Amino acid sequence: MGNAVAIAAVSEMKPARYPELGGYDMYVEVVRQFLQEWPVKPSDIQGLLACPSGMAGGGNSDIFVHEQLYEEMGIHPLFADTMNAGGSTYSLMIQRASLAIQQGLVDSVLCVGAGKFPKVGAGGAETMAKMVSHEIYEFPYGTFIPAMYAQVAQRHMHEFGTTAEQFAEVAVSSRLWALQNPQAAMYGKEALTVEKVRNSRPIASPFNLYDCSIPLEGGAAILVTNEQIAKRFSPQPAYVLGMGEYHNHRNIHQAPDLLDIGCGKAAKQAYARAGLQPSDMDFAQIYDAFTVNPLVFMEELGLCPRGKGGETFQSGRTRPGGDLPVNTYGGLLSFGHTGDASGMSMIVEGARQIMGIAGERQLSKANLGLVHSYGGMMSEHATLLLGRQS
Amino acid sequence: MSDSPTTSVVAKPQPQISPGAEPFWEHAKREELFLPFCEACQKPFYYPRRWCPSCFSQNLSWRKMTGKGRIYSFSVIHQSPHPSYQQDVPYVLAIIELNEGPRLMANVLDCDVSAVHIEMAVEVTFQARGEMKIPQFRPCN
Repeated sequence: MGNAVAIAAVSEMKPARYPELGGYDMYVEVVRQFLQEWPVKPSDIQGLLACPSGMAGGGNSDIFVHEQLYEEMGIHPLFADTMNAGGSTYSLMIQRASLAIQQGLVDSVLCVGAGKFPKVGAGGAETMAKMVSHEIYEFPYGTFIPAMYAQVAQRHMHEFGTTAEQFAEVAVSSRLWALQNPQAAMYGKEALTVEKVRNSRPIASPFNLYDCSIPLEGGAAILVTNEQIAKRFSPQPAYVLGMGEYHNHRNIHQAPDLLDIGCGKAAKQAYARAGLQPSDMDFAQIYDAFTVNPLVFMEELGLCPRGKGGETFQSGRTRPGGDLPVNTYGGLLSFGHTGDASGMSMIVEGARQIMGIAGERQLSKANLGLVHSYGGMMSEHATLLLGRQS
Repeated sequence: MSDSPTTSVVAKPQPQISPGAEPFWEHAKREELFLPFCEACQKPFYYPRRWCPSCFSQNLSWRKMTGKGRIYSFSVIHQSPHPSYQQDVPYVLAIIELNEGPRLMANVLDCDVSAVHIEMAVEVTFQARGEMKIPQFRPCN
């Protein structure tokens, strides 16, 4: 892709509840942890991208976060913005930053995200349903986020005979990975079984409680730089080899095809731009608000044949020791969903695997990997391909 | 702790009428499903907007739909975040494909939720929301 661009450094807060920290305080904590972990100086950061804080907190979002943050950091960026595309925000930040660096506008961009998550039982689920539903043509029908995702799951069950037990396998696989990640919310907890998932409380068919990600809070920072700077921070940076995005719809009922929802269209661009194939990927990190996403998106991403997502998860190939590792940090299902910042986690893990700093769960083969995230009701999609060679 | 025995019933949301969508709601009040129709494409579309989303033509009219369609997808909601829907659980949130093509989000009413399935035939019915009525669907033969 022309001038090589790489992820030079990553840092992520442990997903948890941080009642003492407000929306903006979370940013400060993310940056504080990042600066503690990496020897970065103010002169190393020429660009800054942030997401609006407080989005998932009920729409009281601050769209000037980047201004407050660069001032507080004491830097004067040549490239800065607050941008939002839901869960795909951070993948798009990496893409925008990479383009700016390739063009020579700047040599480095710090991408920052922090997220709060309202308690779903305290009116939070209604607030969030309103945020992601058409106010006139969807919300009056008692919309509920799990039920909107379930539309895709039911359609997949109808067309391919996929079962609720196969969706449950996604949660089982993610939990096994989380048990190897001390930063995961479910680290130290029990392994899941298909029976446990199916016996958990019904939420919106076919989903039960353990088909849903864990609402928490957190955030992360990712430093994207040119190759020269990246090598100063990391002996093995994660090169950005391919990228693609596709904006399909806003409201789920407007998606022309629930099983061709934009994921594959974003990925196709990324593969073509990198000159790579799905079969080249050593792992995949796939945004998983619900168990349906990795199962269906594996197919759209070309990582398994159409209609075989269920069998793929059932086979154990995605679990630790499998030949097609998926969500090696535990996914939003077992690592935790950090609200506004959730789209960070799969990029941070993708970069860590490539950089060889994933600890106990480090894959023996991690030369090339795919990261896919989406925003809204699977509305907009962003794919990144990362690798060890530029 | 309250000494009042009354249980407050929270009203379900009443949609806002956006500019240009007035005929949709006027017809709905009379329990008729009218959709915007693009005279250039010769196709109806949903939801109402000021131009055709297929060709940008602003040469639009309103056409009456049969109100018949099929369930394109659905979910049975067991736990609702909405106070106004609490008494309805389990209820069905579905995407309905009209015989004329466009898809709408709606609830499937008057049904056995365990029997609801994709491709099930449904027909429009209307539900009062304040002074307005919104299109809903129910099973039909």
